[in-house]
Amino acid sequence: MIVAGCDVGSLTAEAVLLENGTILGSEIMLVRPTAEQSARDVMEKVLDRLSLSYDDIGFAVATGYGRETIPFANANLSEISCHAKGAHFLVPGIRTVIDVGGQDCKAIRVGSDGGVENFVMNDKCAAGTGRSLELNSEALGVQVSELGPISLEAKEAIVITSQCSIFTELEIMHLLMEGRRTADVAAGINQAMARRVKMLAGRVGIKNDVGITGGVSKNVGVVKMLEEMLNVEFVGFPEDPQIMGALGAALFAAEKAPQ
Amino acid sequence: MYAGCDLGAVTARVVIIEDDAIVSSETMPYKKLPVQAAVEAFERALAKADLSRDRIDYCVATGFGKKAVPYADADSAEVVCLNRAFRLLNANVRTVIDAGGQSMRAINFSQKGKVLDSTVNEKCAAGTGKFIEVMAKALELPIEEVSALAFESKDPVAITSQCGVFAESEVITYVNEGRDRADIVAGIARSVAAKVSSLVRRISLEEEVAMVGGVALNAGVRRYVEEELGVKLADLEADPQVYGALGAALVAREKHGA
Repeated sequence: MIVAGCDVGSLTAEAVLLENGTILGSEIMLVRPTAEQSARDVMEKVLDRLSLSYDDIGFAVATGYGRETIPFANANLSEISCHAKGAHFLVPGIRTVIDVGGQDCKAIRVGSDGGVENFVMNDKCAAGTGRSLELNSEALGVQVSELGPISLEAKEAIVITSQCSIFTELEIMHLLMEGRRTADVAAGINQAMARRVKMLAGRVGIKNDVGITGGVSKNVGVVKMLEEMLNVEFVGFPEDPQIMGALGAALFAAEKAPQ
Repeated sequence: MYAGCDLGAVTARVVIIEDDAIVSSETMPYKKLPVQAAVEAFERALAKADLSRDRIDYCVATGFGKKAVPYADADSAEVVCLNRAFRLLNANVRTVIDAGGQSMRAINFSQKGKVLDSTVNEKCAAGTGKFIEVMAKALELPIEEVSALAFESKDPVAITSQCGVFAESEVITYVNEGRDRADIVAGIARSVAAKVSSLVRRISLEEEVAMVGGVALNAGVRRYVEEELGVKLADLEADPQVYGALGAALVAREKHGA
């Protein structure tokens, strides 16, 4: 039976089609104005690519925002459960997933069965989310995508003392006014980010293997510092980790489908 | 005569006293040079009262920049200075909220006027003047207009995020949706009031309650704070921004006398 998983996030939506434990295809796209539209568009894109239709789907599970509003879903589950399940499928030894997104930061402890053992999230404070990197890189006068590479040339990581991204903006301005090197400030920004993530992740406990996902995981500076601070080496994923939620949803669909 | 300087994150204030009266005061906003602002505020306060520096017997500094004020003889904690100012001017006040440019503080006094408890937020911009500044920019309004507009609101918007960064996005969305500016301003004032109230609730709320600091000048915020806390804020005997500096001047008198 072909099953489907669909994950609608705040920025992107993903769809995964699965048959007998094998990924047939997946798709990632930017969200549309409504969750329903996002789900339809991304699901239809992957179905078209495989020359399939909704009728070929035996069971579908939706997750993410507005998961209850997805018309073609037979069931819906929390994104945390789906995230953990998808991560575990890709890397069976995974026991901790740190997800640093645009507007939130999560840490999930995954059990040996792919279930969620513990979970903590910050979505209240911009510090420790991709948003703060955006603000800080703007204050620094660089693109957010350059923060990582630039920081690798730092001689030292300048300690940023404010927690609040609104206050760090001022701090960065003052540092630049004092003539501090851009690379050193960039390293400081990444370090502050890594510190916040470490604090959050520490609340669930770090257990190997540890994986990192989310937009911020593309910042090599933050990733390196986090590895140092947590004393781990992040595992690599065989597929783009962005599909993890949709993949987990599809795996749940396979389990829930009436035989 | 005694002088007090309150060097905050956004303004420097100086108050000169003789006996129990304020002889002159000055509030000096600054962008990048706090020490300069503190010095200029002092010079202007002296000039206003036609005084020379040597007429001041002792000067105490308080506020975030208390250790950086070059002409101060000593420094004193904000909590102590506010306590002294309230004991003199508004002795019936038992709870003080100091809503500043980048931090917020709530203090309890006993019936006899001693400091009982205090709590501070200086890590998060939510509820501070900075938060209001960021929102005013998002609304493309000068900050002075942000207060009065709140009263014209018929249907305040809901700002769900406490975080200034996320709240700014919410405000921008409302602006793009064409929501009435008065309603957005009221939503912002309510959000600040909610943060102020949650800070006060960390200590106990004893009447009378007073609000000082730059944010206290925002009538919209004051109105929503009164609603949230269910109290009428005490009328103040002096400009809400100078209570810290006044208290510092009173502490100067105490220290000099000792």
